[in-house]
Amino acid sequence: MSSFAKYGIEHLSPSSCNLFIGSPAMFVLQKCLKKNQPVGAAAHRGSAVEKGVALGIETGADTSACIQTAINEFSRLTAMSGDPRKEKEGASIADFVTTALKELRPYGKPSSSQGRIEYKVEGLDVPLIGFYDFEWEDHGILLDLKTTHALPSKISTNHARQVALYVAARGDNLDARISYITPKKSASYHLENKRDHIKSLEKIALTIQKFLSISDDPLELASLVAPDVDSFYFADPLARKAAFDIWGL
Amino acid sequence: MALGLTISSGSGGSFLPIVKYDARAGRIFRVDREDGSSVPYDITRNFKAVFDFENVEVGWTKFVAGTAPDFVMVPFGEPLPPRPSDEHKQGIRMVIKLSAECGGDCREIAGQSGAFLSGIDDLHTAYEAGKSANAGKLPVVVLKDTVAKESGSGSKKSTNYQPVFEITGWVKRPVDLGSSEPEPVRKAPASTGSTRAAPPAVKAPVADDEDFG
Repeated sequence: MSSFAKYGIEHLSPSSCNLFIGSPAMFVLQKCLKKNQPVGAAAHRGSAVEKGVALGIETGADTSACIQTAINEFSRLTAMSGDPRKEKEGASIADFVTTALKELRPYGKPSSSQGRIEYKVEGLDVPLIGFYDFEWEDHGILLDLKTTHALPSKISTNHARQVALYVAARGDNLDARISYITPKKSASYHLENKRDHIKSLEKIALTIQKFLSISDDPLELASLVAPDVDSFYFADPLARKAAFDIWGL
Repeated sequence: MALGLTISSGSGGSFLPIVKYDARAGRIFRVDREDGSSVPYDITRNFKAVFDFENVEVGWTKFVAGTAPDFVMVPFGEPLPPRPSDEHKQGIRMVIKLSAECGGDCREIAGQSGAFLSGIDDLHTAYEAGKSANAGKLPVVVLKDTVAKESGSGSKKSTNYQPVFEITGWVKRPVDLGSSEPEPVRKAPASTGSTRAAPPAVKAPVADDEDFG
């Protein structure tokens, strides 16, 4: 039985790889001990904005309809969320959608959106999977949308690996881009060194495999790591309590 | 010396699990991690493995009980790096794939004892002699024997056992040994991208009834 099968893990994704390097303890908590954590309001904001933007650039719907679609989606996703940031995030959605549409409408209608990709890594027992946001086949552009309250001046390493995976699966010749959207500003950047970033992701995935192979016992894996309870990974009260229950920290 | 080593008179491991040759006993062990401890399994009698001589490394090794082994290695064929300390001795490191009977996985084998290096050196000579006739393949190696070699005299007299390896066949590179192409050396982390991307230029539509006449 593979290291992943022991823990019921059928695939890895950029986000699970990023979780492992960002907080091995949270990785163990979620993937091995199966204590799933609630998705924060910020992540739901991102999903909601994407839905509104997709409507706008795929159908040409006017901005107000796109905003309403995003707000409805956010309300649906956060209906049972106790995240205190919910109200603030909800209030910023209209601005996010407006800014994003201004950035992306010039690209025209995408040939595909929310496309599932699967990428196999030699020696890795499970595939890497992911979902890219938009592709314009005619222009050879694949683009991921990221909403944030502070506009970065360059692509983050985690985002670089994520989009590198998409183009590795879809075609290396694609111009990979990331559009960062804030409520007021936006910037799209070209991804550089795609092959290097996919290689990094492969190494992380193989590291996870090796880590899981150490033991069939999730508590033994937990004993090899320790949570930083001040990190945002453990900001949720339930996550904080889980850290105390398992690690006594 | 096919490997260009000055053979003097240690063993160890790093990221991959290891196979360890004990020159004093003339035995070869697969070392498994069990419950946080290293457990040696003697595979001397049926040792068989594919040796990745295409990626053998030579250089300086330090094996001190109670500490992690230290390797300062270069690919075979490149000049040796400066010796890091008097505790470092010349050694080799390579990856082998054990036969299914011996465990079936990829392992690292490394060593610095004169007896071990002599055995590896002889094996490398045999590899060099056979590789052109077996292009793209790697040797399947068995441990045919171990031969006692005495060194020193008086109270410093000791006996080590040199492994006598034999190539019994050649096979295509097993997938889990990785590529024969070394990864390019990266001097710095790869940049991610900070160049702004403009929207694509809108292509002018071609009218259906355009007149080419």
